Amino acid sequence: MTGHRNSIIFWGGVAVFLVAVLTMTQIVRNEYPFFAGYVILQFIALAVAWSILGGYAGYVNFGTNAFFGVGVYTAVALFKATGAPLVVQIAAAAVVGMTLGFGVGLLTLRMRGIFFSIATIALAIIIETFVMNWRFVGGAAGIQIQRPPVMAPFDSYVKMLFFVQAILAVTAISIARYIQNSKVGRGLQALRDDELAAECTGVPTLKLKLIACMISGALISAAGAPAAMYLQYADPFSAFNLTYSVSALAMALIGGTAHWIGPVLGAILLGSTQQFLAVTISSEVNVLVLGIMLVLFVVGAPKGIIGLLRPRYRLRAGGKP
Amino acid sequence: MKRRTFLGGAMAVAVVGHGSSAFAQQPPIKIGMSMPQTGGLAGGGKASLLGIEIWRDDVNAKGGLLGRKVELVVYDDKSSASETPAIYAKLVDVDKVDLLFAPYATVPTAPIMPFVKQRGLLLMGNFSFQVNSKVGHDMWFNNAPWGPADSWAASFLDLAQKAGGKNMALLTADQEFAQNLALTARDVAKKRNIPVVFDQVYPPNTVEFSSIIRALNAAKPDIVYVASYPPDSAGILRAVNEIGVGDNVKIFGGGMVGLQFAAVMSNLGSLLNGVVNYNTWLPEKSMYFEGTKEFFDKYTKRAIEAKVDPLGYYLAPFGYAMGQMIEAAVNSTKSLDQKGIAKYLRENEHKTIVGPIAFAADGERKETATLQAQFRGVKDKDIEQFRSPGKQVILFPEKLKTGELISPFEAARK
Repeated sequence: MTGHRNSIIFWGGVAVFLVAVLTMTQIVRNEYPFFAGYVILQFIALAVAWSILGGYAGYVNFGTNAFFGVGVYTAVALFKATGAPLVVQIAAAAVVGMTLGFGVGLLTLRMRGIFFSIATIALAIIIETFVMNWRFVGGAAGIQIQRPPVMAPFDSYVKMLFFVQAILAVTAISIARYIQNSKVGRGLQALRDDELAAECTGVPTLKLKLIACMISGALISAAGAPAAMYLQYADPFSAFNLTYSVSALAMALIGGTAHWIGPVLGAILLGSTQQFLAVTISSEVNVLVLGIMLVLFVVGAPKGIIGLLRPRYRLRAGGKP
Repeated sequence: MKRRTFLGGAMAVAVVGHGSSAFAQQPPIKIGMSMPQTGGLAGGGKASLLGIEIWRDDVNAKGGLLGRKVELVVYDDKSSASETPAIYAKLVDVDKVDLLFAPYATVPTAPIMPFVKQRGLLLMGNFSFQVNSKVGHDMWFNNAPWGPADSWAASFLDLAQKAGGKNMALLTADQEFAQNLALTARDVAKKRNIPVVFDQVYPPNTVEFSSIIRALNAAKPDIVYVASYPPDSAGILRAVNEIGVGDNVKIFGGGMVGLQFAAVMSNLGSLLNGVVNYNTWLPEKSMYFEGTKEFFDKYTKRAIEAKVDPLGYYLAPFGYAMGQMIEAAVNSTKSLDQKGIAKYLRENEHKTIVGPIAFAADGERKETATLQAQFRGVKDKDIEQFRSPGKQVILFPEKLKTGELISPFEAARK
């Protein structure tokens, strides 16, 4: 019964959020909130998608930037080759991200813990090098992109991207929420706590890991796809920047990984702090502030914000005791 | 208690800072920009910003622009393309700045080009390379001396051909700027029927170049064109010093980034001798214009405090020149109307501390003023030597020339 009520509250919240976002794009004239908001929404999608594999299954993926960059460059390549619309770019990025996720999933057969994390970093470097040498998408020199005209009801492309990213973030959250409450989520939790024991009790660990990798990969790449149109420029250094990996991971950890709301809170907190600092303190100090925030959370709240807010999550959060 | 003292002090400083009342009647003219202050481009970004700040102080000492004080609004873009769209949206929509300067370098500038074009805003470029070629914005003016895209390679190959060079080797880093240079070098070589006998692209962060230099030697090139970044520029010169490149090489260098910065130069010392490389400003007698010496007197003092490049030849005077051009345009048009300022900038030649500047239709220089200069008689571990003329003899362009090329490369190294 409570599950049913929770669902109503959740979907009601989603509807209210999307309507609010759409209304905002119609009313607010100043474009800056959309530029900044886009980045925060993008980080919500990344952090939530990351935590499907990193949080629920405990496989720490350092290759968020690989999936993100793949999303960006799928969009760029498709747009340059066929002029495909944004929706198609995002869908294609999701498919490519899912395929890449399948490959990463197979890695988990042989690699666990820190070795898996190192392999995902290597993956990012390999793909970045490939893109650097792919002249069609600009290679190392990067590529400038001209946006197509904006579609109604939006009067500016950035507002449209803001709305699109809001939908992507909501999609990521809904999927994460579904997984958390389903058989898949419980299986992932079991294999995070003890993979061998889970396998012995009949949990199909490989299948679950593959599913988690593919979904996480698809969502990260999809969140990356609109970045090409947002920047109207793509270069390998920015698209495969390690910041995406570090931020997604930090946001999920600061928020807490046991519940889907954790990465959302972490992304809102860290993402808006980053945006705020970028236009206020604006020097080495802002990097320092973020670093200090991370250290404080690791020391003071190892289970993240949700660990602080809801003591009952403490037992479930963060993996092995 | 300590924190309270600190806060009190900070507030006192803020109050004193706002205390000057000379411009009290009118709001200041705000010039907005992002600048790489952290990340890979930070060294250059900070030096460039210091040049702009010196201009701001000079113009305010003269009574400001249109009787209003000039104020800079600067944010850090962390050397990344993904930060600048939000920053420039904030500058325009929230801070409501009157004029925009671009950040240092191509990558952070590229994403804001379509934005300024859509909004019809004037943007003063700061050392980006061919960033307007596809966008075609008619209110863009680059302060860099690059000029037409192919002039960079053309000037180097001119020198090489005069010295008897017949074929070329290309050694380039797999990064944005180096690849842009390599593209034009290949084009120019093709037009002039100079065969490219060796064309090697190496990954960024390569440190060991001896095998690459050996392979290059095996191709027996006359001309060696290198487009590299600071760490690899040093690696390449070390390998060349150990292995040599043979007597057939007439000229070596061209597009090595890093050899313009004091730290790299003093670190490499005598290894630099003989290299012909691009530069933007050098302390040669042909390079002093009205105000140049005064600028460097101020820069040298403030660079220590700001912890930036002690020489500051590469970027800082061009930051100042960017301000000078805006100053001239605003004073002549007597308004902040961006279309009027753009029209003035396009139609006139501007006197600056880096020499006269005139723009072509694409907002780049009409003629290139990128120097090609040869290092001579450089000693080890001495920054101060680079302040005196004769250490980097200007070979190109003709009107700024202060010496002739010494060739072959091995002879010039001695």
